Amino acid sequence: MDLSDAPQLSDASHLSVVLDLSPTQWHLSGLLSNKYPLSLNSFLSHVLAFLNAHLASQHENTLAVFGAFPGKSLMLYSSTLHNPELQSIDSNSYAPFKLVDSTIINRISDELDAIDQSEEEAPCALVGALTKALCYVNRISLPPPSNSSTSPNTRDSTVLPDPRILILSVSPDLSTSYIPIMNSIFSAQKLKVTIDACQVYGPDAVFLQQAAHLTGGSYLFLERRDALLQYLIMSFLSAPSIRQVLAVPTQDRIDFRAACFCHKNIIDIGFVCSVCLSIFCQPVPVCSTCRTKFPIKTLQRLNASRPNVPSLSKSGPPSVVGTPQSRTPASTRNLPFPGEQPLSTTPGNGNTPATNGSNH
Amino acid sequence: MPSARPYVYADGNVHQRKAHALLPFLQSQSQNTLTKLYSKPSSCLSIFRLLDPISRQLIMNLLWLESAIPASTMQAWVTREGKPVYTEALATLTKLHIFPNSAIKLAVVPTFKTSFRQAITGGGTSGSFGVPSEKDDKRSDVDIEFLDVFALERWETILHYMVSSGSGQNPTKPSVRVLFLLQRSGLMTTVGQGPLQITSAGFQFLLHSPHEQLWELLLQYLHLTEERQMDLVDVLGFLFMLSTMELGREYSTERLSKTQTAMLEDLVDYGLIWRRKPSSKGFHPTRLATTLTSSSPPLPSSIGNRSGPQEGFIVLETNYRIYAYTDNPLQTAILNLFVSLKYRFPNLVVGAITRDSVKKALLNGISADQIISYLMSHAHPQMRKNVRLRSCNPLLPVTVQDQIRLWELEKNRLKSQEGYLYTSFASQADYDFVLNYAKELGVVLWENPVKRCFFGSLDGHANIRGFIERRTGAG
Repeated sequence: MDLSDAPQLSDASHLSVVLDLSPTQWHLSGLLSNKYPLSLNSFLSHVLAFLNAHLASQHENTLAVFGAFPGKSLMLYSSTLHNPELQSIDSNSYAPFKLVDSTIINRISDELDAIDQSEEEAPCALVGALTKALCYVNRISLPPPSNSSTSPNTRDSTVLPDPRILILSVSPDLSTSYIPIMNSIFSAQKLKVTIDACQVYGPDAVFLQQAAHLTGGSYLFLERRDALLQYLIMSFLSAPSIRQVLAVPTQDRIDFRAACFCHKNIIDIGFVCSVCLSIFCQPVPVCSTCRTKFPIKTLQRLNASRPNVPSLSKSGPPSVVGTPQSRTPASTRNLPFPGEQPLSTTPGNGNTPATNGSNH
Repeated sequence: MPSARPYVYADGNVHQRKAHALLPFLQSQSQNTLTKLYSKPSSCLSIFRLLDPISRQLIMNLLWLESAIPASTMQAWVTREGKPVYTEALATLTKLHIFPNSAIKLAVVPTFKTSFRQAITGGGTSGSFGVPSEKDDKRSDVDIEFLDVFALERWETILHYMVSSGSGQNPTKPSVRVLFLLQRSGLMTTVGQGPLQITSAGFQFLLHSPHEQLWELLLQYLHLTEERQMDLVDVLGFLFMLSTMELGREYSTERLSKTQTAMLEDLVDYGLIWRRKPSSKGFHPTRLATTLTSSSPPLPSSIGNRSGPQEGFIVLETNYRIYAYTDNPLQTAILNLFVSLKYRFPNLVVGAITRDSVKKALLNGISADQIISYLMSHAHPQMRKNVRLRSCNPLLPVTVQDQIRLWELEKNRLKSQEGYLYTSFASQADYDFVLNYAKELGVVLWENPVKRCFFGSLDGHANIRGFIERRTGAG
């Protein structure tokens, strides 16, 4: 290992934290019937201590916190945002810590109070918060405007080394968010952002595992919820350069399953359009994304070779859900791209079965 | 967002920055002193920030554990390549008495643990982060710009006084207390009854980064505390408290100890704090104080920002010409230490590095490496851009770097050694006999058989002398 190319050990680092604040899930998590119940309040006190620990490490460390509420995401705190609301400080606490704590707590309680109890709870906007976090990292990693005259094209790497995003999730995977999550992952890779993820409550999150794996971060399924702070500090406090000395837990098994574009189900075996690489759970005559027509012979052959999965065959005709964004994950993979070539000239190449696994 | 540009040292050894200057001083203190120091949350936070990243992570890993854990458990987290760094970090923490001296169990000592936890979570009644003054509507608020100007003026007065002490100019004198400290620290000295003269240590001091300079002076100040019968824990605690304060806020002097009240005057002289008048009940920390434990530039508005970018202003060409975009008299004076200046324009100074100018600097005790590292750390962004875009490494032209080093070597052409010259041997045989004996001892530095003399080193003299005496006694 060559340390000389690594970012300097004592450089400042940026951390964006995405908090999943779904009221239903937190209610379930706080129930005493759990083995290790963890209420939202104690969760927040652990997280705030963790955030302060990050700020304590270096004077220049920066922080941004995003909250994912049902159907809504917003920025709760950021170091660059000057907050003049808080004027009173007391002599027993470090002013920046107090500012972080009180701002976050106030914003969260305001938002949670504003949620209408009578309506049915919308799914949690975790992806929205993640996207906002990425946009924020992108914004602050651009050189400050004063320097733009000297180096308009080169990004000053000293401004923001090691940006990281930490996702603390409690909700189960939302299969409709597969495409936006994959898009976020690819933008994170491009920005050289490490995504760490921690599933605090609920089942293992497939997409977050993939996010952590693809960006070189670490994914943790929390077993002892009462020791949340210790988990956070040991696994997520250290910047990537420190992780070269003090290792962090990595995953031995990663769930690489994808969600199909037609019904947003997480699938074991999918069918990939040979033109735009969209994924479907069953062979389709026309690709819903790029409108490519596939030869009928291929469809028959593929249908015959399918394993019998009754739940999928019931799900009706494929609906048109293609979005222009769905091309992004596909084109990033290094797979052959046939271009405008008419498919009828290459029979048998219409729908190719794609299997999940480690072939990514 | 503050952009911290790390100082790059001449040897290219960037990733392992040397430990902070204060840490060796803390390590030399007794466990008792340190424990008293650790009882203040603000001190814990500041010391924590001075440590290297691995030590910081280790403290954090252990901070929230109630009992000690076996050292092997922690060892399991360390990668094979990281072993040396890890061992070093453990040694530092043990010397600082943050970890108890034990090879089997690892833990954070209780005092540090309690205070640092308090620093992170808030609470307690220690008041160690400074008591803010009551809001007073009668007086206008002091803005940050004003404090920056004040700190800058104080600090540059000190440096400017040092740099121009030998040149016959009469710059404004800093206060007597500052002069005393400069003299005690060996940065300046008096020759007879004459005025203060800068020493070679002082010249070296001038080329350091402002952050290092500040800590160097404060360390000297700490060394003086005992002599002035000040409580070291109080002094350190106050410095650490200052470093956690908020810029632009006024703090009250009410809860300061006697020592700390006495320190206020000194700190005003150094530009670390500002007070309305010497008797007022409040004080404002300046940027010099609030950035004590960070790596951001202590004087962001300092040094040549009036024209040109702040982080670098020097362009050095392969023909030894140097263009410095600055109008700051202090920086011009520092450059004048090793550059022969040719022209001055309102925002630009042009000069050349010549043999004579470098010789002059070397005579003053400045080393070639210091010149090079000064040029590197103040290189103009345009020069840094060249490194990035055209990958023309290194930052400074190689010819110039090598030549400066060669000029330094030139100075070391003569090597002097003390010894004795043995002459007037009666016969050739006597001469050969003694010379052989001396050669066996390996102390002969020079010989001349024609003139029958040789030169032996100092430590061989007693033996040779005894040998000759025995021979003359026997003969």
